[in-house]
Amino acid sequence: MDKILEVKNLHIHFNAFAGQVKAIRGVNFHLNRGETLAIVGESGSGKSVTTKAITRILPENAVIDSGEIWYEGQNLLDMSDKEFTKIRGNDISLIFQDPLSALDPVMKIGKQITETLVIKQKMSYEQAKKRALELMDAVGIPEPQKRFNEYPFQFSGGMRQRIVIAIALACNPKLLICDEPTTALDVTIQSQILELIKKIQKEHNLSVIFITHDLGVVANMSDRVYVMYAGKIVEEGTVQDIFYEPRHPYTWSLLASMPNLDTNGDDKLMVIPGTPPNMLYPPKGDAFAARNRYAMKIDYLREPPMFKISDTHYAATWLLHPNAPKMEIPDYLQERIKQQLEEAKNYNG
Amino acid sequence: MLRYIAKRVFAMVLTLFIIISLSFFAIRLIPGDVAGENAAPEIKAAMEARYHLDKSLGEQYGIFIKNFLSFDFGESMTLYPRRPVFTIIKDKIPLTLMLNIFSLILTVPIGLICGVAAALKKNTLIDHVISAMVVFNVSVPAFVFASLLQYIFSYKLDWFPFLLNLDPHFSFSKFASMILPILALSFGGIATITRYMRAELFEALNSEYMLLSKSKGLSKVQSTVRHAIRNSFIPLCNVIIPMFMSLLGGSMVVENIFGIPGIGSLTAASIQTSDYYLTIAVLFFYSIIGLLSMLLVDLSYGIVDPRIRIGGGKSRE
Repeated sequence: MDKILEVKNLHIHFNAFAGQVKAIRGVNFHLNRGETLAIVGESGSGKSVTTKAITRILPENAVIDSGEIWYEGQNLLDMSDKEFTKIRGNDISLIFQDPLSALDPVMKIGKQITETLVIKQKMSYEQAKKRALELMDAVGIPEPQKRFNEYPFQFSGGMRQRIVIAIALACNPKLLICDEPTTALDVTIQSQILELIKKIQKEHNLSVIFITHDLGVVANMSDRVYVMYAGKIVEEGTVQDIFYEPRHPYTWSLLASMPNLDTNGDDKLMVIPGTPPNMLYPPKGDAFAARNRYAMKIDYLREPPMFKISDTHYAATWLLHPNAPKMEIPDYLQERIKQQLEEAKNYNG
Repeated sequence: MLRYIAKRVFAMVLTLFIIISLSFFAIRLIPGDVAGENAAPEIKAAMEARYHLDKSLGEQYGIFIKNFLSFDFGESMTLYPRRPVFTIIKDKIPLTLMLNIFSLILTVPIGLICGVAAALKKNTLIDHVISAMVVFNVSVPAFVFASLLQYIFSYKLDWFPFLLNLDPHFSFSKFASMILPILALSFGGIATITRYMRAELFEALNSEYMLLSKSKGLSKVQSTVRHAIRNSFIPLCNVIIPMFMSLLGGSMVVENIFGIPGIGSLTAASIQTSDYYLTIAVLFFYSIIGLLSMLLVDLSYGIVDPRIRIGGGKSRE
């Protein structure tokens, strides 16, 4: 398939007071044209850092040690800032986590949308305004003509996220990166925004990277999923692979700790014991070993490579090694998966 | 808005009344004699009668307030005998104003440029040099600067004259004599503006909207100029407007050192010579400037910041 973006062996560390925080430790992934990719993982696993590296908006204390980011045949990391400015916004756009602080508080909404059009696409102000009004209409802002001259503080959170989406779409990008776009919004607004992103993706045939820690959003939105832990991809696969045949113990724990519709107040949710490792001193073996009840001795000694399960499904765990004891998906999770499959069948039927 | 201004003006009048009342009594605590120590008893008696100094303090206060309310601010007793204090102050303003305008023309741009440079190059050599300069300028008082400048450039190098040239016509030599006082007046202000600008801009540079403006494709320069600097100017009103207002005030110390007969040196001289009404009038003048600039700062927020300008009316949230 046609790959629009490919990240190869990316390593990033942050210079902190205490030393080097190794945030990204060899991330590989690719995005096919027109598909939606989800990257999931808990806070601090390196999801956002990866996307910030793609759009080159990493904070100044971040250092890219090695790696390649190929976009349409060009390595983004080799480009000068000036060359990259042409790609950013025009080809790759970003939607942020917190729409409340993402807009300039003292600039009119309309100007914030037209700004790029005038500066980057050399449109006249009238053309740009026309386009901005169309965009505002497309993302579902009522009375765009009137709202055009208002300031961000006059908009609600959901409306501001719509504006951020309109800004991201202004120059017709090919790749849209959504960095937890619904985290700061309440649930009803969340689904509206997700529907909007879905609709836009279909209309413009966008390739989308979706960063989230909400597995419900993943199931709903994406074609393929990457699970990240401690700066590495630990499992990749299609949505079916990840939700119905997970192979990595971390993915098991993630899925088991997610409440579903049958969860009621008396049930106990699974928790993942312990905390993520301190990335100042990343562990020697598998970073998840200390929290993994299925960990073997080798997990503490050597990092597992990516084992292939099927053409679309890979996981980095020693449990998949031919010499490892055969390990099935834990019972409680199997039960849940069965339930979900039935629900899906009922829903579709 | 009008109601707000009316409320503020009323509070200002009340504050001014308290200030002049306090200064009326406080000034009498300074030892000294209007007529001078060796004056003949007749002169002394005549002066005391003329300025009601023979009456009780309470009566004097009553007369003073009554005159003040009818805009009769009294006349100078010792420094410029019998001239109305209002005229004296009015005559002093132009010189002070001229020096301070020159100083502001220097202060604001240099302060802003240094602040922007320090914020953009945070934690580099440039930032460290500028920050060191700021600490130095803030902590060394103006009179030390003034004396140092005079010592180095007038005494040692002989580049500029010691004192201000009081030629009524503007000439090159007059301008040359103004350079040192202008410099002495500017250092503190430059440091203040730099410090504020650096802090505000640094915060703005690290904001989410800067990430957005970069990710939507603006270059670093474009997003800094269009978004970060714009946002960091708003809190700067707080610093720059009072500076414009204090144009009229002048500096007591710097004016004395360079022999500038402006408002600042007038204040010092009037206190030294027990010129009660003149001192009160000067204090009154300073108070008006201070209170007005505070009012202007508050009003300017409403003009510069749309969140206050529009949000104050009705919010759509």
